[in-house]
Amino acid sequence: MSTTSQKHRDFVGEPMGDKPVTALSGIGDSLGKKLEDQGFDKAFVVLGQFLLLKKDTEMFTEWLKDASGANSRQAGSCAQCLKEWCDAFL
Amino acid sequence: MSLSKKSNDDILKLLDEHGIKHGPVVDSTRKQYEKKLEKVVEKSSVKASSDKTYYREEEETSYVTYRSPFGEEGFVDTVIRRGISTRDEDKELDQHTNASKSTIQFTSKTVNHSVQQSSLQYNKPPIKSGSSKWKAVRLLLLLLAVFAAACYGAYWYLWNYQS
Repeated sequence: MSTTSQKHRDFVGEPMGDKPVTALSGIGDSLGKKLEDQGFDKAFVVLGQFLLLKKDTEMFTEWLKDASGANSRQAGSCAQCLKEWCDAFL
Repeated sequence: MSLSKKSNDDILKLLDEHGIKHGPVVDSTRKQYEKKLEKVVEKSSVKASSDKTYYREEEETSYVTYRSPFGEEGFVDTVIRRGISTRDEDKELDQHTNASKSTIQFTSKTVNHSVQQSSLQYNKPPIKSGSSKWKAVRLLLLLLAVFAAACYGAYWYLWNYQS
């Protein structure tokens, strides 16, 4: 738990509602912009992609790296964030 | 194989064929599944080619272990059948390889031309038949090293005991 960031804890702690994609752990402004350009403007849309990949964090990480140019750490962080959110709320 | 030209359904079928767990194949997910399929296909083609080498080796070794003078035709038939059925029993055959390596060379000449049709990949040399030989060599070297260390230890002990 202590290894997760505040951003991660903030996201996983409550339903995501209409939060923007930049609210996701690992997704900053530049990555967020790239995702928005592809239509992933809200966190729940990225969640949709995560669910389409059957919550497979490895595949999601690969997808995110391809789609936004995220590095392994960022993509992994986002995947973990979504996974924990799903575990809590889905 | 250009996966990008295949339809979503085709990709889905391929994923199922290869036993890959997957979600729906849609526009946003198909690229990832294409990549996965490419990796798997690459792996399986590499594995298949090494399997082919095994197949060939088994034919050679099983030929040697039979060694009954029923005439060459009957011989080859037995070899081919045995090769197909004992594909998984390579561990057993490895032991035979060690003992009968010298005879393989003699008999392989006669068998080569008739086995050629049935062997899947004739061009690749039977690299795997040497690996069991190297295992034995390494084991022997290890034993020698252990024995040398023991001798040295004994000698050292005696030397100290004397002084």
